[in-house]
Order: sequence, then C-alpha cells, then structure tokens
Amino acid sequence: MFTESWLSVGPTLDECIKCNICTSYCPVAAVTDLFPGPKYAGPQAQRFRENGQPHSPDHSVDYCSGCRVCNEVCPSGVKIAELNARARAQIAADQGIPLRNRVLGRNELLGKVGSIAPSLANFSLHNPVSRVVAEKVMGIAREAPLPRWSTDGTFVDWWNSREDQRLQSDKKVVYFHGCATMYYEPFIGRAAVAVFEHNGYEVIVPPQNCCGLPMLSNGEFKAAEKLYDNNLRKLGPYAGDGFDIVGTSTSCTLTLKEEAPELLDRHGEDALALKMAVWDIFEWLRELHEAGELRTDFERIDMVLPYHAPCQYRAHRVGKPAMEILSLIPGIDLRESEARCCGIAGTYGYKVEKYQISMEVGEELFSFVREQGDEVEITACDSETCRWQLEHGTDLPSRHPIEILAAAYGLYDLESRTLIAR
Amino acid sequence: MIDLLVIGAGLSGLMAAYHAAKASLSVRVIAKGLGALHWDAGTIDVLAYPPDSAGVVNRPLDQLAALPPTHPYRLLDEADIHAALERFAALTAELGLPYRPAAGADDFVVSENILLPSPLGAARPVFLAPASQHAGDLGRPEPMLIVGFEGLRDFYPALIAENLGKLGYAARAAFLPFALLSERRDANTVHLAHALDDPARRRNLAVELKRLAGPGERVGLPAIVGLDEHPAALADLEQQVGAPIFEIPTLPPSVPGIRLYQALRRHLLQLGVRVEAGMEAVGFSSDGGGNIQWVETATSARPLKHRARAYLLATGGILGGGFDSDHTGRVWEVVFDLPLTVPQQRSQWFRPLFLHPDGQPVNRGGVRVNRRFQPVHPSGEPVYANLWAAGGVLAGSDPIRERSLTGIDVVTGMAAAKQIVSSQAIT
Repeated sequence: MFTESWLSVGPTLDECIKCNICTSYCPVAAVTDLFPGPKYAGPQAQRFRENGQPHSPDHSVDYCSGCRVCNEVCPSGVKIAELNARARAQIAADQGIPLRNRVLGRNELLGKVGSIAPSLANFSLHNPVSRVVAEKVMGIAREAPLPRWSTDGTFVDWWNSREDQRLQSDKKVVYFHGCATMYYEPFIGRAAVAVFEHNGYEVIVPPQNCCGLPMLSNGEFKAAEKLYDNNLRKLGPYAGDGFDIVGTSTSCTLTLKEEAPELLDRHGEDALALKMAVWDIFEWLRELHEAGELRTDFERIDMVLPYHAPCQYRAHRVGKPAMEILSLIPGIDLRESEARCCGIAGTYGYKVEKYQISMEVGEELFSFVREQGDEVEITACDSETCRWQLEHGTDLPSRHPIEILAAAYGLYDLESRTLIAR
Repeated sequence: MIDLLVIGAGLSGLMAAYHAAKASLSVRVIAKGLGALHWDAGTIDVLAYPPDSAGVVNRPLDQLAALPPTHPYRLLDEADIHAALERFAALTAELGLPYRPAAGADDFVVSENILLPSPLGAARPVFLAPASQHAGDLGRPEPMLIVGFEGLRDFYPALIAENLGKLGYAARAAFLPFALLSERRDANTVHLAHALDDPARRRNLAVELKRLAGPGERVGLPAIVGLDEHPAALADLEQQVGAPIFEIPTLPPSVPGIRLYQALRRHLLQLGVRVEAGMEAVGFSSDGGGNIQWVETATSARPLKHRARAYLLATGGILGGGFDSDHTGRVWEVVFDLPLTVPQQRSQWFRPLFLHPDGQPVNRGGVRVNRRFQPVHPSGEPVYANLWAAGGVLAGSDPIRERSLTGIDVVTGMAAAKQIVSSQAIT
C-alpha cells in the first residue's frame, strides 16, 4: 500500500521521541484497553508496516477514532492520525471491507435513496425492531444517534424553488453543502444562504458530490478517489476563477482541503487550487469580520450557550473561529467546552463494538454541558454527527453556529429551524 | 491586532504570557505542540552545578554573580531574579499548587537547594519544589519506604532504594499490585493520576500503604497522586496513611509538570489568554523599519496570519524544538532564522563523553539577546524592533548540565514580558 504521500507522512515517524504526550491526551486510550494509544498504534507499529510488509502488525489501530488530539499535542510534528488512517486502509486492503462499513461510507447514496420516500425511510430505519435487526445483521449499534431524512425536501429542492428570490450581487460565494445538509438538515443550508445574502453575497450552488470522508475513514480509498475527482471536476473551475468555496460541514471542508488530497495523493495544480479555495464557513466569516465587512446588526439573544468545537477544527488548525464570531452577539453567554472529543468521530460511534467507547469518550463533553446548569436550552457545535451525538448524550437540542448567527440577524427561528420571512 | 504573540507553550512562554496579561496586554500563546513541562519533573531548578563547580552548590542565589557574563541570569539584576522566583511561588500558591524553597527558609536569598530522590535513586538538587515532593527531602532523617506498582513502567522501587542506600540514605522498597490503581491492563502515569482523583481508589491504596509503612517511615510514591484533584488527593492520602508521603517524578509523561502546565493554562484562560497548540509557525514578514508584521502558522490550507504589536520567541532549545539541524551540521532557529551561537560544525557539538562533566558545547548555544531580552546581531544591534526571546532558546547556559532549565524559564520569561510591557511597541 505504498503511495507517494508516504514521503510526506511516513518520515515524520522518525521525529517521534516516545514522550507519550499523545497517549496521555488520547481520549480513546483513556477509556479502553482495546486501543493502546497513538504512540503504539502510530509511529511504533509503523516501523513494522513499512517496506512492503504485507500485513499490518497491529489491528488495534482500527480503534483509533481519528480525532487528531495526538497531532495537536505532539511537540515533534509526527502525523500520527494520518499514519493511522493509512494503516486502516491497509487492513481494509488485507481483509476486505465489511458490509457495514461499506454502507456507512456511502453517505450520499443513503441520502439519495432515503430521500425518495423520507417518511417511509425514517420509519423503516428508526423503529426499534429494525434497529435491533441492523445491530444483529450489520453491526450498527441500536442506540447510536442516526440522522433522519428531511421530510420537507432536500436542500437543493429548496434552493431550486427560490430561483427568482436569490440575491444578485457582484460579490459571489460558492456554497458546498455536503450530504448531511442536502438530505438530513436542509435548514443548515438555508441558514447559511440567509447569512451570505444578508452580508451582500450572491450564492452559487454548483453540482457536487460527497467529499469522500466516510469512505476514507473506513479505509475505502478507491471509492473515495472517484468522489474526490468528481468534485475536482465540478468545483475546480470555480477555484480556478478565484471564487471562495465555503462549506458548513467542518469535516467536508477539511476533506476537500487536506484529507483527500493527502491520503489520495492528489497534488496537481488543480487539487492545490481547490484546497486553497475551500473555507469552513466560520473561518470565512472571521476573515470577513477582520476585513471589517461582516454585518453586526445583531438582535440580542439572551441565553447560556455551551459551545463545543468539533475535532475537525483541530485538524483545520485555524483556532475556534465560531467562538470569535458568536461572541460578537449581544446577550449570549458562551461557555467553551474543553472536552477532547464528543466520541462519535464520524461513523465510529455507530459501530456496535465501538458505541460504548464513544459514549465514554463523550462523557467529558456531556458532563461539561450538565455543569452549565438548568438554564441551558440548546448547545452548539459545527459538525453534524457531533451535534447528533451531543443531543443523544445530553437530551438537549443542538444547533450549528450558523443557525445561531442567522437567528441573531433576525432571519431564523432557532426552535422550529425555519427562516423568518422579511 | 493583539498586543503580544507568544510562540511556545513551555514554562517561559506561559510565565511571560501571565506577566503580560496581568499588565492588561492582550496576549495569545501559540505552539506547535505541547512540550517541555510535560517532560519536566515539575520543580524549579535555579542552579546546582555552575561551570567549573566541583559539586552541588548549596545556595544558588549566592552563585549568580560568578556565572559567565553571557549567562542569561547575568542579564538581570539579582533583585529581579529573586523577585521573579518569589512571584512564581506566590502565583502557584494562588493556583492551589504551592511551590516552596527548602523548609524553614523564608528568605529566598539564603535559601538552599533541596536534594530530592530521582526515579533512579540519585539525589536531584532543586530550588523550589511543589508541596507533594517536599517530604522526599534527603536532608530529613526519617527512613524512606519507596513503593512501586507491578507493571508500571520506568519506576522500580528496588532500584531507587538501593541507589539511595549507596548514597547513605535509609530506604527500602515494596511493590503493590497494579490492580489496586486500575482495572486496565495497561495505563500510563497520567491515566493512573486521574484514577487517584477518585476517593474510593485512594482508600484502597491507603489501606495497603498503612499496612506497609513502618513506624517513623515516610512513603515515596511515583508522582501519580491525583491530577485535577491533586492537592485534595495528597492531603487525603497522607491523613489516611498517617505518614508523610512524597512523590518522585517519573519519566515522561511527568504528572507534576503536567499539573503545573494545566494550572497555568487554566489561569491564563481566566485572564483571557488562549493557549493554542497544533499551530506551527511557518513564516513571518517584517517591514522596512525592522518590525515584524505577522507570523504565519500552518493550517489545513492557507497559512493563518497572527498580527501583534510585540512577539516573544519562547520555543525552547534543542529539546524543545527551538532549533533544528541537518546532517551537514547546519543549525538554525526555526521561526525567524535568528543568528545563533551554536557551533556550525558538527565536530564541535559534542565532547567525546556523553556524560562529560563540562556538558556539551551544542547545549550552550542559542539566541544571543541584549539586556532588554531582544535578539541581537553579532554587532549587538537588535534583529527586530518588536521581537523578544526567553527561556531555553537563549544562548549562554547549558541548562541540563547546570540544572538551571526551569529557573531560567521562570526568570527570563518574566523579565522579557516586563521589557515588552514597558516597550515602545506597546505604548
């Protein structure tokens, strides 16, 4: 499984000085013996995987959730999470990919199929009998917080329905909605469009595919290549023309920027142009604010708001831009979570053998939310699967910060998750 | 734009950030990763083996004037050094993690180094120790019982006791089962310290320790007595066992250093200072007037620019990552490529012995600064008007050899911040 990008990732293992800071901060190693820690599964086991070794020596790497705390705390710049992602792909190549992981990797297909008859799909998936069957047959944990298909159309259905109401402007931005906004949470996209247009930007929504992350994290690199290359073809021209491509899903934007090109060896000029054009929405809004161009005509929102920055922000390495922007809104008492991870880690916590681990990892976050007191009515997090996990672990509704921002502009109702007509 | 960007989240950077934030500056700390303090014994070592010394010096603060003129301590008035150490001790008391000099010494100036047991059973001279290490003072008469846990790596009580015995200190060893601390098959010192935050586990441990400890003995444990609840855990355990308990810092990850890091980081957050790890400085820009305009850190795509009025380089020495080198022997400072005093030929880095009594020349090199802690050219001119440096990156000391690593961090971190606060870059 030797690829060109070993050249950028592989040698970093020689920087490991075995200080064990990664293992001390790893949220998974803190709760289970099944994962011995990033140092062991990463740079140490890596020495036995190199030079064409046919088999991975250490299958415990499958229990790495990919949260990247290790990368963040490593003082030596070892790309531990990337080493682990490649090792998982090697296991997948050795042993084949279980049906369950193939299904979980096909986010876009699931979205499309379910959206044909969403009520039926929701009933079929979310009744207790089918969840038990899904657990027994597929290994998808019966308690895991799976999403529900949108019953009032996909995001693009809505987008097409308001063709004549779209703002036209010289300032334009390309929106990458991702699968979750497309099929499960179209209201996130509506809130994003409202915020873009409120700030005077015309929104362009080109055809696009799943970013490929679910496949990458399940070791299905070949299938992910196809998705990434499709996106490169569809979005590349916009990147080439100098448009910003802004996404509301922190994991999709991370995949387009770094994960996919790095794991799939896409280092051409077009891939580099796409990487440089993609922004996470709050990263982009912070840039707008620093240029003095973000509108701050906020209505007061009186609430205590626990905010959890998802692990993908750690990988973006841009700080916590949503914290910075939400703190501009009068009345919001922002409480910053320092929990390492919510536990769900994409599709990790859906898997029956990992569900319990994911809940124990998430306990750090759930107890933080509980400690903020009874006045807390909602929580906030940028990533969809993390929000679903947060709701599962706290029984409180969770919102994307873009919904909070749209509400502060008076454009969005946080409870019903609908736009307010103006 | 913020007032001060600190690059490096080790002790010198954190102390500088603290001092600057207390003076009402807006401060951010960025770091490539976490470091230094996580490997550290968590003590403040001011000076134990100055150059040419035959053995341990008793009163380090008496010896400062005899150091070479290029030594970082010599850039400061002695009164400022005393004040910085006293300020550090007061701060740690405020944070609930009190550091003190040798017992009975109210006056830092005449205070003596304390000898504490190392995890190999050597005598380790330190100046300020956290409360949990004081009962290990080798100057005390009580015999020691060193207790380890079967399966805990890198902590072998028999080795410690035997080596202490060879040095003339009364010590014996005992092992307890790992299962007393954790149901895990394997767990490192941080996991175990976290486990001992739980009062029920401490009760189980206390029962066994009480059974083992002879009359008049003090009990030495690996440094795992609590993480978030450490002060309460220590007091609780001592009370239940009925004997003085001391911690012996372990090999990394070192819990006493991590406690200090966490306490400082939490306090900084209360002061409005964020410590952002995972942000590696990869570029900077300076204007024609010799001012740094911004520092860039790597992200998943475009570098992120950090703009500040003043910049403090606190990236550490060779161990901390402040310098890098290649196979030809070239050594460079990683953020601003500042002039270094490190020998540029590999053959001059090391003496023939690994543990040479005079230390290694490569460890003595670093960034030369003026008395205002601004990096300078060989001519003595500041390299940039709004750049300062502190801690392990500084030239002129061999902190490992001298045992002055954390002392230099505290003292120069505070001193550099003081200079920044009163500089033209800020006012």
